[in-house]
Amino acid sequence: MKKNRMPILLLLIDNLIWVILVVVVALFSIFNSRYLTEPNLVDILVTASVLGILVVGQTFVLITGNFDLSAEGVVGLSAGIAVWLQGAAGQPTFGSGWHVNVVFAFVALFAVGAATGTINGFLITKVKMNNFIVTLAMMIVLEGMLPALSTGSTMSGAPASFNWLGTATIGTFPICGIVLIITFVGAHLVLKHRPFGRDLYAIGGNPQAAFASGINPNRRVYQAYIISGILAAFAGLILEGQVQSVPADLGNGMIFMVFAAAVIGGISLQGGRGNIIGAFGGVLLLAAITDGLNLLAVDVYFTSIIEGLIILAAVFLDTQKTRLHRIVEGKRAIQALHDAAMAAGEAVAIPPL
Amino acid sequence: MSVQTADSAVVMRGIVKTFSGVRALDHVDLEVRTGEIHGLVGKNGAGKSTLVSILSGFYPPNEGEITCGGKTVSAVGPDQAKGLGIAIVPQQVHVVSGLSIAENVFCGELPLTRLGFVDWRRIRREAMEQLALINIDIDIDRTVESLSVSERQMIDIARAFSRDAHVIILDEPTASLPKDEVKMLFGFVREMCKRGVSFIYISHFLEEVFELCDRVTVLRNSRVVGHFDVSELDVRRLVQLISGQDIARFGRKRREAHERPILEIEDVTRPGAYEKVSFTVHAGEIVGLSGLEGSGKSELVRGLFGLQPMGEGAVRVDGRPYRAKAPEEALAQGVAYLPRDRYGLGIVPVRSVAENVGLCVLRKVTNRLGFISRKVERPLVEGYVDMLQIKISNLDQELQFLSGGNQQKVVFAKLAATKPQVLLLEEPTQGVDIQAKEEILRIVVSMAGDGVAVVVVSDVIDELLDICDRILVMHRGVMVAEFDPDDQGTSGADIMLAIEGNLAPR
Repeated sequence: MKKNRMPILLLLIDNLIWVILVVVVALFSIFNSRYLTEPNLVDILVTASVLGILVVGQTFVLITGNFDLSAEGVVGLSAGIAVWLQGAAGQPTFGSGWHVNVVFAFVALFAVGAATGTINGFLITKVKMNNFIVTLAMMIVLEGMLPALSTGSTMSGAPASFNWLGTATIGTFPICGIVLIITFVGAHLVLKHRPFGRDLYAIGGNPQAAFASGINPNRRVYQAYIISGILAAFAGLILEGQVQSVPADLGNGMIFMVFAAAVIGGISLQGGRGNIIGAFGGVLLLAAITDGLNLLAVDVYFTSIIEGLIILAAVFLDTQKTRLHRIVEGKRAIQALHDAAMAAGEAVAIPPL
Repeated sequence: MSVQTADSAVVMRGIVKTFSGVRALDHVDLEVRTGEIHGLVGKNGAGKSTLVSILSGFYPPNEGEITCGGKTVSAVGPDQAKGLGIAIVPQQVHVVSGLSIAENVFCGELPLTRLGFVDWRRIRREAMEQLALINIDIDIDRTVESLSVSERQMIDIARAFSRDAHVIILDEPTASLPKDEVKMLFGFVREMCKRGVSFIYISHFLEEVFELCDRVTVLRNSRVVGHFDVSELDVRRLVQLISGQDIARFGRKRREAHERPILEIEDVTRPGAYEKVSFTVHAGEIVGLSGLEGSGKSELVRGLFGLQPMGEGAVRVDGRPYRAKAPEEALAQGVAYLPRDRYGLGIVPVRSVAENVGLCVLRKVTNRLGFISRKVERPLVEGYVDMLQIKISNLDQELQFLSGGNQQKVVFAKLAATKPQVLLLEEPTQGVDIQAKEEILRIVVSMAGDGVAVVVVSDVIDELLDICDRILVMHRGVMVAEFDPDDQGTSGADIMLAIEGNLAPR
């Protein structure tokens, strides 16, 4: 009873994402010998870094059973405001910024993320507005604010210190890859090993039971949105560093990949289920696919079609995973009952009264 | 075996229904005559709901047959009930609240014009005719939202009537009705009887059974105790039939005296729920709290725990003034609560046993860096799993895969881990198997043995008599009686009478 013995089948089912990742990498490396080389693997990691950090932030919100669509809006606007404040080239609406110190630019960048999370959290937990619509509207607003600020032009000219996270390497290893790994490890520790993370899971699994167990679901959901906002701003910082500029549509459309990676990685959209390590697998898988198709010089339109189909296939496998899990767990539960020689049956099916 | 006579509306014979090996109905017979109001009474879990669920086609019986409208079937299919003329008006009335009354009368089978559009003129005309036929004077264009509960029920009955139902089942129709609306509903039901409709009337309010019903069938422990003309019964006799005679005692050795008051409640009032309730629970004492639905017993414990507003009044826990605006505050002050609705409030089904047990005390098992220490958490959880004999394959097993009894024990473990001074339990044995029931009662007794002040809110009088030191009864928000289970004069029937609001002369 106390030993935690997982049958091999269950172990494979639970780690399906890594099995798929290995298969996909193997396939690409058969088609293109350059796929499994160091420069390309670094490319994959760079692609994964921005997506991955957004997925971490989104995971905090998804686990509570909520959505944060506004994250992709934060990516562009936070980077845009920070670059503009430092005196951007291009044709910004309000002149070329205030030429502020880079430290202040960092503060402003994260403040945009935190403020967005705070507004989301307030409208959702206090005003009780629907989380999907609130964050959708917020996304639309933010994505309008960036071109309003930049007059639709591409802003650039941030100092190297601001772009450092997106561009620097140690040897050939990109700093953003290290940042990605640190973010995932940190999120894993918080979600799995801190009361805060356990609270989020409980809220997503059953908010009323969480409340009755002494958790304040509103406060926690609020906090999850702020975390998501701040991490989205962080992703914006890295993306700006990678492209060395802020186009008027920076970040637009990324949220679909974020959701895809999280769901492929086993994060339940109903909340309460899924772990950050699986989500990391989902991020790597999507980055590996994007990079592979790029390397094979697949036409950009077909890339989109193929990515969509692969996401469908992965999520299909995931539903099968849940089904298999139920079967195996059910068998084990029955076995446990037999082991305990439970003579008496169950009366749970009888409705009250 | 009686043969269906010409004046039988429906006959159920030898109905057996088992759920995973437990008999919910054991060779139950029921005959409802044309134009009669037939009461169906029994304690919670006696089988009333299961019986009418079978009759209305929710699930098939394992054995037995049903004769209705000249046809004999072994089971009423899900779509057959309507064809047989059987309809059920459930406690939560199935009306679509945004739609008009006319639409609701026809909901599900709107008549269409030849072009396939909804025939509104016909709907309005016929709805008006239907309502006129049964003497309901309500504007059919009002939305259902604007109606009172009894009006909604009458609309539901009208809807059943419009579909030629001749047997209508009323499941606790008056549970949430004010008195004047009960009168209105009863008048309406009698009127429908004159038109040849038969009713099966389920209620916990026995005085209503005497007021309304012609005959009554009593169920106890999944069996029929008997069929009676209401005129041959009185309340006392009916209560005896419902509760049964023999009461098996748990054989708990009670302490001579409980000295230290832990939970002190003084004149606690929440208008509409309870009024000037006062009682004290001492360390190690188990106090039962019973009453009808709406008597205020559930509202009181939920108010104490901070799930609902508690209202006015003074409460002290171990001498300290106590007040909780949320469960968080209640737990912090040593008050724990086991909800009646295990799936809704008790467990997080998709999370593990370990996480569920630890849910309330997470913050107390962290190390200096604020992380949950596995070295503290695992032994804590394992300790409770062993102590409460929770049957699981491993600590990471999701709660949804456990049996009801084991889930309930997990909730107990979660509460026990908080080391509460006061334990408020609502229907602790509901929905668990017989063996687990006994184990859960033992857990309650042993927690009291550790000096916890326990309040058990329950409808199961036998269990209260078994484990409680005192049993309090509430009726319509007021504390009306107190019983001592050790007193030879105390019987389940007396308590049932008090619950009904009829105080036995003592």
